[in-house]
Amino acid sequence: MSRALRLALLLIVIGCAYLFQAHPYWFPGGASANSVSIDRQFRIAFRVFGTLFIVGHLVLIFVLSKKPRADGKVSEGSWRLEATWTLVVTIIFFWFNISGERLWSSMMPAEKQPGEIEVEVTGAQFQWYFRYPGADGVFGRTDAQKFAKPDEGNPLGIDPGDPAGRDDILSTSMIVPVGHSVHLHLRAQDVIHSLFIPAMRFKQDTVPGMEIHSHFTPTQVGNYEIACAELCGMGHYRMRAVVRVVSEDDFQRWLRARTWPQ
Amino acid sequence: MPIISDRVEVERKPRLGGGGPGKIPHRRGFGGGDDGDHGNSGDFRSREQRMRRYRVGMTLCIISVTAIFVLLTMVYVLRMGKGRFDEDAHRWVRDWIPLSLPYLQLWTNSLVLLLSSLTLELARRSMAKKEEFAAMGIVPPRFKRDLPWLGITVFLGFCFLAGQVLVWNILRAQGAFLASNPSRSLFYILTGTHAVHLVGGLVALLYAVAGRLLATKFESQRIAVEVTGWYWHYLAFLWFGIFALVHFARG
Amino acid sequence: MSSSVRSKNSRRMTPSYLFSTDHKAIGRAYFFLSLAAVLAGAWLSLLMRIHLVWPHAEIPFLGEIKPENYLAQLTMHGTLMVFFVLSTVPQAGFGTFFLPLQLGASNMAFPRLTAVGFWTALVSLFVLMAAFIVPGGASSAGWTQYPPLSALASAGPGQGLGTDLWLVSIGLFCLSSLMSAVGFVATTVRHRAPGMTWLRMPLTCWSWFVTSLLILLAFGILLAAVVLLMLDRHAGTSFFIPGGLLVSGKAIAHAGGSPLMWQHLFWFFGHPEVYIAILPAMGVTSHLLSVFARKPVFGYKAMVGATLAIGALGFMVWGHHMFVSGMNPYAGFAFSTLTTAIAVPSAIKTFNWVATLYGGRIRYATPLLFSAGFVSLFITGGLTGPILAQPALDTYLHDTYFVVAHFHLIMAMAGVFAIFSATYFWFPKMFGRMMNETLGRWHFWITLLGAYATFMPMHLLGIAGHPRRYSELSGVQYVAAMAPLQKFVTLAAIVTLVGQLIFLVNLFWSMFKGPAAKANPWECSTLEWTLNSPAPVEGFGDRRPQVNHGPYEYNVSLAEKDFVMQDAAAS
Ligand code: HEA
Ligand code: HEA
Ligand code: CUA
Ligand SMILES: [Cu+2]
Repeated sequence: MSRALRLALLLIVIGCAYLFQAHPYWFPGGASANSVSIDRQFRIAFRVFGTLFIVGHLVLIFVLSKKPRADGKVSEGSWRLEATWTLVVTIIFFWFNISGERLWSSMMPAEKQPGEIEVEVTGAQFQWYFRYPGADGVFGRTDAQKFAKPDEGNPLGIDPGDPAGRDDILSTSMIVPVGHSVHLHLRAQDVIHSLFIPAMRFKQDTVPGMEIHSHFTPTQVGNYEIACAELCGMGHYRMRAVVRVVSEDDFQRWLRARTWPQ
Repeated sequence: MPIISDRVEVERKPRLGGGGPGKIPHRRGFGGGDDGDHGNSGDFRSREQRMRRYRVGMTLCIISVTAIFVLLTMVYVLRMGKGRFDEDAHRWVRDWIPLSLPYLQLWTNSLVLLLSSLTLELARRSMAKKEEFAAMGIVPPRFKRDLPWLGITVFLGFCFLAGQVLVWNILRAQGAFLASNPSRSLFYILTGTHAVHLVGGLVALLYAVAGRLLATKFESQRIAVEVTGWYWHYLAFLWFGIFALVHFARG
Repeated sequence: MSSSVRSKNSRRMTPSYLFSTDHKAIGRAYFFLSLAAVLAGAWLSLLMRIHLVWPHAEIPFLGEIKPENYLAQLTMHGTLMVFFVLSTVPQAGFGTFFLPLQLGASNMAFPRLTAVGFWTALVSLFVLMAAFIVPGGASSAGWTQYPPLSALASAGPGQGLGTDLWLVSIGLFCLSSLMSAVGFVATTVRHRAPGMTWLRMPLTCWSWFVTSLLILLAFGILLAAVVLLMLDRHAGTSFFIPGGLLVSGKAIAHAGGSPLMWQHLFWFFGHPEVYIAILPAMGVTSHLLSVFARKPVFGYKAMVGATLAIGALGFMVWGHHMFVSGMNPYAGFAFSTLTTAIAVPSAIKTFNWVATLYGGRIRYATPLLFSAGFVSLFITGGLTGPILAQPALDTYLHDTYFVVAHFHLIMAMAGVFAIFSATYFWFPKMFGRMMNETLGRWHFWITLLGAYATFMPMHLLGIAGHPRRYSELSGVQYVAAMAPLQKFVTLAAIVTLVGQLIFLVNLFWSMFKGPAAKANPWECSTLEWTLNSPAPVEGFGDRRPQVNHGPYEYNVSLAEKDFVMQDAAAS
């Protein structure tokens, strides 16, 4: 029985190691400025904790195969050993923790910088809306309860009486120029949603009643899928949108072409 | 006549590893187990043990109730500080309407509750004394003073509840309903939760009072009064905490 | 007068077994309650898995599963499993049965309170299950019930009556747990047999004790939160509902509440809750490894210390569920560090388990196999914890299948393994018969390999960005591309679930037909084994065992046996 158990554990270790080596599915290619450092941190994480996983199981297999001592003596504890392994895991865990904290502080949402592209993201059951402030650089006031008319092209309820809203551009996909920092205003109209752009390593809940600020910098041209990552109701699984990262010129052309609502 | 507390006498410190043929090597220290005996040696069916276990139980209830009120206080403070985004003004405004409280009624209620705490303490003491006599096997003559105090406590408890209902009615008459404003919601919730807990204490006291009619054992009455006493004083203390909160943090 | 003292305290067994206040009857009743809940929960997980990969499959009697049904099943699966299985059997089930026996007491401190606790739990389960038959079906907001989705009936099917029932049920469950926990702590504090010092308590008792303390603090808080949510739903208050909402085209009149407030309240309960679920499982594992390795627990005092540390730190880490919730990002630093801190005592425990096995005369009975499986699964599931605890990485992994993999391995599978080992181990004391070893082993192999096959691949889904709580894969293209691996997971889950039939057959067959058990079949040193099997109704009766030894006195060189019962003569 002992042998069978050890064999099973060994099989598990090999199987899991193989699974992660072969990794039929893995991160989508990173396409944002942050993705490089995040991916590096992930690599460290998988190495360190993968090693602990393997070592832990090998130790388990080893102790299962260890014969009792001939003189029958057993140990019932040792403060020295306890202190040693406490120290070792504390060092490993906190070293890893501190490196993560450094990464997090480098990603911290900063104040809005002057040159940033501003996009307002609104989650509504089960659709994403992206709004650009237009030429004046100011978002029009919204009041979903009063003015929202999805059928008439005003799902967000932009106040028709607010001049700042006249030139706002509304889109159902996010179009951003490559290499520019994008500053997001995240909002929700009904329940909590979560804007998840795997390729940008970006995720942020959108919470009704709050406007959350965040940003990312796309570094590669292409189309990237957005998924909703917070349970928001029966259409949660199909609340999809696309980020289209385009060249600076294409972005300006697109902006000029969009004149809604007039 | 059986004895009241048939305590099992045990050796306080079992002698271990004492040599001789049947020697059992006893482990000390690390591997679990030590050789001191600080456990409870009393028979847990004895009256004293019963009382103690109810005290422990009551302490635990009080801990748990405290957690609930700490949480509600946190919600109160956070909700008071929080605002909402005003779309028209495009800025954050606070929607907390300060409470205007019927202080006269509230102070009256506080006084009633305080008094009831006092009377309960008197009842508890007289019962404790009675128990001492009982333990000596003496049934003291004319020893009914605990009942009036208990009865008065129950009466005052109901008065307090009625007073709270009055407070709510006064607020309602002012148009301050549960849903009108977070300050109102929280006032009703805090006082309501307090009242619900007080009702629990009242039930226990009623049990002790009715015990005389139901011929409940004196011992059970005594325990009910003792632990409800703790609980009751705690609720009185809690009430002043709530009062202080809604007074000093009106908004 | 003093005769009244006696009669009042003599055990009162109501004639009916059902309404018994005997802790053994209640413990068994909890066991069957959880068994019913786990059957429902596992059946739901099967339906979910099938729907995910074959969305149009016709299920006998149920027909095709619609996306909203998937979410209702998901919510009920999580709720049943977390509350009614993992917070119930290891604590209220085995604990109610064995805590007094291991401490040498004749019953729980407050037998009637304990009994009422059980009945409340039963009502709570019925209320929860009733949600399946009400209009709109069961709640579909997940076991975390984030408002406004959970606060507004118009937000989706199941958000009406189904959610009300969910909230009432959980409120009742809180009351039930509180009642049970009061009894546990009072029993531990006041009812230990003479000589049963704190440091002579088996580690099972220690973990039941600490878990009860966690329950006393955590469940009161959940109860209050549930009441507030209920008021938001029906009394017009706005604690969790902000202003200006437009749901399904309807303007919502509430204003000023904060959805984040619920998340704080929920996780302030929720994180201690996951430790409430796992601490008794850890206690059982420590106990069994020692018994079957015929060695004292390695580092008993370190184990006690780690248990206390986990209990205390458990209240300070709730924010790690909220890194991307919109909470102040600076709070992420503190929660990340505290979460890392709580991983340390968990690791200490792991080391001590491994060290307990080291050099023992291991007896490979089924309970040992499951305990060893627990250690393996705890390592595997636990090691993803510190990864999730980093806000920068959790930003990507949050609400993906990576999290699902994490908590199924460490909570669901490790927890269930502890339940299984405890069942195989204590079955003789509970039912007076032995379970079948051969079936037990087959059950173990299938479950161990099945657990890894089911939940390991989920890490990859999460790494590739597959969000959780998706009722269909077709909605997002990169998710749809993961269908093959999802199919593999489903197949593995089906095999695992079918393997559980072996357990059920073994359980019920042994209950009636198994070989009669001796008083102490595993040669275990704790007090419950000094009684006959099954434990007689009167427990220790009028006898109070005198405890003279530590709980894990194995490998003692004596003539006949290698261990010393806790109540063996001192010299
Ligand atoms: C029993 C339940 C349980 C337990 C014990 C844990 C343990 C831990 N959990 Fe888990 N967790 C859950 C149940 C549990 N979790 C659940 C249910 C959720 C999701 C809830 C939901 O959203 O629905 C969750 C989610 C969750 C999150 C949020 C993820 C997200 O939603 O984005 C985080 C983040 O920090 C986290 C962290 C941790 C950590 C650090 C531990 C640590 O305590 C782990 C410590 C253990 C170890 C570190 C292993 C030790 C082993 C070794 C060190 C091996 C070495 C050995 C040798 C070499 C011999 N958990
Ligand atoms: C204890 C907790 C527990 C357990 C055991 C399980 C068991 C299983 N879970 Fe569960 N699961 C959760 C807790 C648990 N789960 C939670 C909390 C969620 C999140 C809900 C949410 O998002 O809101 C979730 C969500 C969840 C999802 C995520 C869906 C999604 O996000 O879209 C999936 C998908 O595959 C899944 C699958 C399974 C499978 C296949 C099993 C199993 O069926 C595997 C095989 C089962 C067993 C081996 C158990 C048999 C046990 C016994 C027979 C015990 C015996 C009992 C006694 C002796 C009394 N679960
Ligand atoms: Cu929107 Cu999920
Ligand atoms: Cu947690």
